[in-house]
Amino acid sequence: MSSSKWHISRRRMLKGLGASIALPFLQAMVPPGMSSYNMGKRPVRFACLYMPNGVNKDHWTPTGFGSNFELSKTLKPLANVKKDILVLTELMNKGSIFPGAEGHFAKTANIMTCRPILKTLGENINSGGISFDQLMAQQKGQDTLYDSLQYGTERVNSGICGATGFTRLYAASISWKSPTQPCTREIDTRMAFDRLFRRFLPDTKQRDQTWKQSVLDLVAEDAKDLQRKLGRADQDKLVEYLESIRSLEQRIDNEAKLKAFEEQVSPQMKKELASLNLRIDEFKEQFVGVDVTEKLRQMMDIMALAFQSDATRVITYMFGNAASGRNFSFIPGVQGSHHQISHHQNLPGALEEYRKINEYYVAQYAYFLEKLKSIPDGESNLLDNSMIMFISGLRDGNSHSSRNLPVIVGGKGGGALKTGQNLEFAKETPLANLYLSMARVMDMKVPQFADSTGELKGIYS
Amino acid sequence: MLLVGIMAFPALAQKPDQDPISIIEPILEVHCFPCHHDTKRSADISLKNIFMGINDTKALIVRDGKVWLNVVKQIESGQMPPKSHSQMSAEDSEALVQTVKSILYSSLSATNPGRVVMRRLSHSEYQYSVFSLVGVKYNAPEIFPADGSGGAGFDNFSGTLFLTPLKMERYYEAAEEIMDQAHADEILWRKLVPESYKKSFWSSFGDWFLDIFTTVDRSEGAVVAATKVIVPFASRAYRRFLEPAEKDKLLGLFRKVYEGMDTVNRYDLAVKETMKAVLVSANFLYRYEEELDVPIDYSYALSNFELASRLSYFLWSTLPDQELFDAAIQNKLQDSTFLQAQVKRMLKDPKAKHFAESFVTQWFGISRFRETNPLDPGRFPELTPSLRNAMYQEMVAYFNYVLNGSRNFLDLIDSDYTFLNEELARHYGIDGVEGEEIRKVQLTDRRRGGVLSMGSVLATTSMPLRTSPVLRGKWVLEEIMGTPPPPPPPDAGELPEASHKKNANLRQLLAAHRAKPTCANCHQKMDPIGFGLENYDPSGRWRESYGDAAIIAWDTLPSGESFRGPEELKKILRTKEDEFARNLSEKMFIYATGRGVGFVDELFIQRLVKNLKGNNFDPEKFIIELVQLEAFRYKVNDKGERFIVASN
Repeated sequence: MSSSKWHISRRRMLKGLGASIALPFLQAMVPPGMSSYNMGKRPVRFACLYMPNGVNKDHWTPTGFGSNFELSKTLKPLANVKKDILVLTELMNKGSIFPGAEGHFAKTANIMTCRPILKTLGENINSGGISFDQLMAQQKGQDTLYDSLQYGTERVNSGICGATGFTRLYAASISWKSPTQPCTREIDTRMAFDRLFRRFLPDTKQRDQTWKQSVLDLVAEDAKDLQRKLGRADQDKLVEYLESIRSLEQRIDNEAKLKAFEEQVSPQMKKELASLNLRIDEFKEQFVGVDVTEKLRQMMDIMALAFQSDATRVITYMFGNAASGRNFSFIPGVQGSHHQISHHQNLPGALEEYRKINEYYVAQYAYFLEKLKSIPDGESNLLDNSMIMFISGLRDGNSHSSRNLPVIVGGKGGGALKTGQNLEFAKETPLANLYLSMARVMDMKVPQFADSTGELKGIYS
Repeated sequence: MLLVGIMAFPALAQKPDQDPISIIEPILEVHCFPCHHDTKRSADISLKNIFMGINDTKALIVRDGKVWLNVVKQIESGQMPPKSHSQMSAEDSEALVQTVKSILYSSLSATNPGRVVMRRLSHSEYQYSVFSLVGVKYNAPEIFPADGSGGAGFDNFSGTLFLTPLKMERYYEAAEEIMDQAHADEILWRKLVPESYKKSFWSSFGDWFLDIFTTVDRSEGAVVAATKVIVPFASRAYRRFLEPAEKDKLLGLFRKVYEGMDTVNRYDLAVKETMKAVLVSANFLYRYEEELDVPIDYSYALSNFELASRLSYFLWSTLPDQELFDAAIQNKLQDSTFLQAQVKRMLKDPKAKHFAESFVTQWFGISRFRETNPLDPGRFPELTPSLRNAMYQEMVAYFNYVLNGSRNFLDLIDSDYTFLNEELARHYGIDGVEGEEIRKVQLTDRRRGGVLSMGSVLATTSMPLRTSPVLRGKWVLEEIMGTPPPPPPPDAGELPEASHKKNANLRQLLAAHRAKPTCANCHQKMDPIGFGLENYDPSGRWRESYGDAAIIAWDTLPSGESFRGPEELKKILRTKEDEFARNLSEKMFIYATGRGVGFVDELFIQRLVKNLKGNNFDPEKFIIELVQLEAFRYKVNDKGERFIVASN
C-alpha cells in the first residue's frame, strides 16, 4: 500500500472548508489507482456469529476481570487472539423476556433487535424492530457492492412449533431489514461463493447482461401498475418486490462500485479463490453426523474474502438455527444432538458434552478471528479493523435462561476498542448498550437503540 | 373501530370511541391475571400474555376465542373469580362479559370469508408452474433459499413468504437458466415459438429502400408475429387476460431487443428475453386477488380467473390448465355442479400428486426426510438415503391412494395396507415384495398400515440414538389429534442419550417424570401413546425386545381405553373421529386458503367437520365442501373497516 501518493484527507478537506457539516465521501477525493478503502483510514467491518442453544455456564466466563484474566476451559481456543477480544459479562436481552417467550425462538429472532417478537404461527410476523446489522447496512452500506450479507448453515426449519405457538421461521432469522422483513440467508457455500467470486475464476462464462436493465425496468413498472389494483396489505407486500428489484438494479448500475470491488481482488486473492473453489467442490455433507468443520470454515473463508475485497462490511452468520439438533457425535466424547444435550439436567456427563460443543463453536470463531488477523488491511490487519461478535441467545440451555448472555467481541473496531479484557457489567445491563456502543464506533447516527440506557463503559481505548 | 354489535350491546353504545381493551384490561388485571399469568397458568390458562408487548390484543382475543368464551361462561356462572378471592362488582362483571362477547361475536359470521394477503409462489409451486408454462424442470426447492412455514406448518402460507434481494437475484438467474434450457431444446422451443419470423431477401431489400425514403416501421412484421407467441404465454403465466398496457410493455421490450440485434436469430432471442421478463414479473411470481376500487362492507366473489387459480394451486400446485381457464372465461366456475365436476376431474389428474406430496409430507413433518437423516448414521447405517426415499414415497403414495382409492381419510390412522418396495419391505420384515418400485401391499397383520407405523414418522420422532416415547406421543397429539400439549417448563430436561439396551429403564424414568405434578398433566397424555409405539425402533424396524429386556407396549390412555401394542393403539386412535376431523379440517382449510384459521372461522370448520363425519371421511366430498365455502370463493375489501379484526 503506497502511502506516499498524494491525497486529501477527508478531515483536512473539511477543516479547509471551515465547515462542520458532514460531507459525503466524494469519489473525486480518491487519487487515481486507489479506491476509498485502500487509503489510510480503513472502514470498520462488523460481523455477528450466532451460536444456538446457550452454554455450559460454569465453564464460560473467564476468571479475573479487566486485562488480567484467564480464559475459561471453553474459551481456550481463543488463546492466540486473547489480546484481541472483549469478553462481556452480564449483558441481557430484555426483549427476550416477556410472557409467552417460551422456548428458543423468542430469544433468537430478536438477538439484534432487542425487542419482544410477536408470538405468531406466521401471520403478522414481527421481530419488534430493525436488527442492528441492518441498521448499520442502511446507514453505512452504500459504499459497497452488498450493503450486508447473511449466512447460515441449516435450512430454515419447516413447520411451526405447536407447543410454543411460534413459526419456526423465527429460529432462522436474526437479520431483519424491518420488523416485518427477515433477510434471506445463504446456507450453501457453493452459492455463496459463486454469488461473490465466480467471476474471478478462470474460464467463467459470463451471461450476456445486455438486456437485464430493460427486463428489470419492465417488471418494476409492471409492479407499480399492479400496486394500484391491490389492497393495503397486498401493497405492503409488494414493496418487498419493488425494493428487491431496486437492489438488483443498483448492483448492475453502479459500475464504480463494481470496479472498486474487482480492483480489490489481487492476484494473490485470486489464487486463494481458486483453491477455496476446489475445496467447496470436494466437500459434500453426506449425512447429519458428519464433521462439519470444513463446511463452517469454508463459509468463514468466504466471509473473510468478502471483507478483504470490500464486497460488504456487514455480515451475520448463524452457526446453527435456534434449537439446532445438529448431531455432534463426530466430537470425541459427545453422543447425540446439540439441543438434546443442552437440556443437561445438571448431569455431569451431559454438562461436559454440552461444554465440548460450546468449545467446538468457540474454536470455529477463533479460526475466523485468526484468519482475519492474518490478512493485512491498511496499516494493520483485518481483525484490527473489525468488530466480530459471538453470541448465543441463551445463557443456559437447560433452563432457557437469557440473563447474562455469552457475548464476545473480537477486533479493535479500527482502534476504537480496548481489547484483551474480560468485563463485568452491572447485572441486567441491556445488550442494546453494546449495540449502541458499536454504533458509536461505526460513527452511525443512533441516539438510542431499543432499550439501551447508555454506552458500555470500559470497552473503548 | 368496532361498530358492529352495538345494537346488541347497548352498554357499549354510550362510549363508542372507547377502546374495548382499555375497558377490560384493568378489570382483568385485578381479578384474573394474578392466577392466570404466564408464569403461573392456573388451569393451564394464561390470560395476560396477549396484553403484553406489541400484540394486537383484540385480534388475539379472537384467535383464542374458545378460551375467552370459556372466560365469559365462568364469570357468568359465578365460578370465577373463585370464592376465596375478591369478587368483581356487578358493573365490572357486566362490562367485561359484554366487551369480550362483542369482540368475539362481531368477528364471527359465515359471510366473512377472511382475507388472504397476496402470496408469492412457494418454491414447489414455482417449480410446477414453470414446468406447466415452459416445459422445463427447474429444481427450485433445492436451488432457492428456503422459506419458512406458517399457519399449520405449510410453505404456501402467505405470511411467511417473503421476497428479498437475494431471492430476487435467484429468480432472475432462474429465468435465465430456464429460458436458456428451453431455447436449447429444439422440440421444446418449437412448442413455445412454433415458427421463427424471418424476413425474405426482397423484404429486407425493400426495408433498405423504404428506410431511405420513408419512415415505415421495419419491425412491424416481427412484432405482429411475436404478439401471437408472447401474449398467450404471458396470459397463462399471469393466469388471466392481459391488459392492453401490459401487452404494449411486453411487445415494447420485444421490439427493443429485436431492433438492438442484428443476428439471424434475433427474433427468437428477443422472444426469449421477453419471456424472461414474464418469469420475473410480480404478476407471475405472486398470486393476488384484485381489490375493488370502491370500499364496500360486504364480501364479494373472487373473479373467475382468481377462483380458477385458487383451485389449481390448491389441488395441483400449478397454473390452471386450458379447461379451467376456459371455464373461467365462460363464467362457469360459479356454478356449483360444474365446480364439483371440476374438483372430481382435478383429483383424478396426475397433477393431484403435487397436492398429495406437498400436503401430507408437510402435515406430518417429513418434507425434509430424504435430505436430512434424523438418526445417527454410525448407529443406524441401514437408514440409507435410498431407504429414506422409499419411506418418503410410502407416505406420498399412501395419501394419494387415500384420496382416490380407499377414499377414507381415517385410513391415515389405521388400515390393512401400505406402500412398499423391496428394500422397505425387507426393513419392515414383510416378505414377497420385489423390485424398486413402490406399490400397494396388502398386509396380513396391523403392525403396519397408517402413518403412525411408517418409518419416516417413526424416525423423525426419534432421538439420534434411541426412541423417544415422549416425542412420539407428542407427535400423535399434535399432528393426528390436533391437540398439542403446552411447552414443558424450561428446566424439565430431556432424558440422557443412551444405548437401546437402556431403553428399558426409560419407562421407570418417565414414570418418575409423570409423578411430578408439573409434568403429570401432559405426560399422562403423551407417554402412553409413545409406549404403545415402542415396538418400532428408531429406524422404524419392528422389535420384540430391547436386546435382553422385554418391551412393554401396553398402557392406558387418559380417556380410559387400554391397549396392548401398536395394533390396538391404532385401532383406538381411529375411533377419535371428532379430534381427527377437526384437525384435518383446519389443516386443509389453511393449506387451501393460505391463511391462518381462527375463532372467526369456526362456522366454516364446523361445516367441514360435519361433512367428514357425515360422509365417512370421504376426501372428494370433503374437498368439494371446502372449495364451496365462502372462505374459498369470496373475499373482503381491504379498504373497508368492518373486517379488520377478522382479517388479523
